[in-house]
Amino acid sequence: MKELQKFAYPVFFVVMAVLPHMLDDRWQAVAITFLIFSVVALSQDIILGKSGMFNMGQALFFGMGAYTTAILSNEYGWSIIATIPLAIIIPALFGILLAGPIVHLRGDYLLVVTIGFNIVFVQVLQNNLGGVTGGPNGIFGLDSLSFLGYDLMSQISVYYFAFIVLLLTLWVMHNLAGSKPGRAMHYLREDQLAAESIGINTRVYKIFAFGLGAGIAGLAGTVFAVQYSAVSPEAFEFIQSVLFFSIVLVGGSSVPGVLLGVFVMFVLPEIFREFATWRYFIFGFAMIAAMIMRPRGIWPATFGKIPKFLIKENNHGA
Amino acid sequence: MAHNELILTDVTKRFGGLTAVDALSFKVESGQIYGIIGPNGAGKTTVFNCITGIYKSEEGSVLWRGEEIRGMTPYQIVDRGIVRTFQTIRLFGQMSVAENIMSGRHIKSAQKWWHGIIPTPGKKRDELENWKNVEEQLDFFKLSEFAATPVGSLPYGIQRRVEIARAMAVEPTLLILDEPAAGLNDKETLELLETIFKIRDKGVTVLLIEHDMDMVMEVTDYLTVINFGKKIAEGTPEEIQKNPAVIEAYLGSEDDDDE
Repeated sequence: MKELQKFAYPVFFVVMAVLPHMLDDRWQAVAITFLIFSVVALSQDIILGKSGMFNMGQALFFGMGAYTTAILSNEYGWSIIATIPLAIIIPALFGILLAGPIVHLRGDYLLVVTIGFNIVFVQVLQNNLGGVTGGPNGIFGLDSLSFLGYDLMSQISVYYFAFIVLLLTLWVMHNLAGSKPGRAMHYLREDQLAAESIGINTRVYKIFAFGLGAGIAGLAGTVFAVQYSAVSPEAFEFIQSVLFFSIVLVGGSSVPGVLLGVFVMFVLPEIFREFATWRYFIFGFAMIAAMIMRPRGIWPATFGKIPKFLIKENNHGA
Repeated sequence: MAHNELILTDVTKRFGGLTAVDALSFKVESGQIYGIIGPNGAGKTTVFNCITGIYKSEEGSVLWRGEEIRGMTPYQIVDRGIVRTFQTIRLFGQMSVAENIMSGRHIKSAQKWWHGIIPTPGKKRDELENWKNVEEQLDFFKLSEFAATPVGSLPYGIQRRVEIARAMAVEPTLLILDEPAAGLNDKETLELLETIFKIRDKGVTVLLIEHDMDMVMEVTDYLTVINFGKKIAEGTPEEIQKNPAVIEAYLGSEDDDDE
């Protein structure tokens, strides 16, 4: 399995790097959607998969990033690139503020609260708060991407923008896996009392997980706004959060699992277009089957690696 | 500089109408192996939970090195050098033995939250140092061969060792063991005794609850016997063995021993 992964990652990156040149416009758009939703699903994985918190409101942070970019670009004339820092920081701050009072809640209660947040968020957008969200229609006609004076209008440049964001996300998740905060999340998910008794301030790391997950989702939101050059409330409805939630659960809390989940959910329906209306039906059954047969997901999580020098000869199960 | 002393004074913990711990006082001195014994349901684990911050006692005081730790959270107490194990082993079952022990390095690691996002050379060094310490613990507890094995799949006796190794990775000043011999066979119990002596020789004070009287008599320097949350005796193992109140408390409780 490990050998396979070593081999699979470079192949995946190379394929993804040359992919847009082999696709027509429609498929390029599908590929971009895949990249964006992969990033959001990975950010959900930090909160749900790694830390075990039942967050059913990830579309909120995704939408907040998208709206931050749209509003700053449309109302204040910022270039898209310049909006990126705030599109990460604002959702991350909201993630921290919202999580603060609720992370002590047990799984199901937390779930209901996050659904509530998501619904309130969409209501706020639809009611055109402060006259900047554009109401039910949202904001459209955004500027295209430009960087150092180059206009990056083509879909291929948007693709690479999304690809870089995905690579960045994977890099952050890799760093997280081999770090003190990343391990703390695993510990608190496995046994919160044991984690506290070994000196981990679980509250801090739960809030950290929310902040980080929200920040990454916000960045994905920027890409989303660029891709459609528009944002509207229905793209960030609570049902979207349900999708991200199920992708992590069904895929398993691992990068291949999450990417597989996104592929099944967003790319397969495009391939079998005539069956598009069946997708929830099929995905629903796939979820039921996966949860019964593989309760830890199709491609379950593997934990942080341990250094090689710890693995001695005649090791059991290494 | 205050000594590494743990002083409980009139600690009382109630659950509704039930007084689980009733005005309990005792003093653990630096370098001791201190035992708390008593029949089932005597409130021993509750005492530990009050010391380690899982419960807050309603009355009394828990002084550690002269500082009041009653009402602190578990992680604050760990930060002050008091680490515990659990009667029902609480490990991170899906994770490897090495990762479990690494959790004990959490508070010793110098990494900040942003090291979870951006790596630095300092972080790499810190990771390596802590993994080296894990390696030491693996050697000390003879767990090297299981380093990469998921802990949930290991036999009970080994899981006990992993839990003590995890606690020792914190480099505690006071190690609290909640029935460390529960569920162990004779050979494993002997090994545990040796381990406890070796831990004490490292300069760690050990406070333990135990049911196995033979083991307690062999390992501890000083004992407190409690029943119904109250202290009924204290003294060295020899003194305790002769104490009529203790003999009475234990007679009759042997039969309805539910372990």
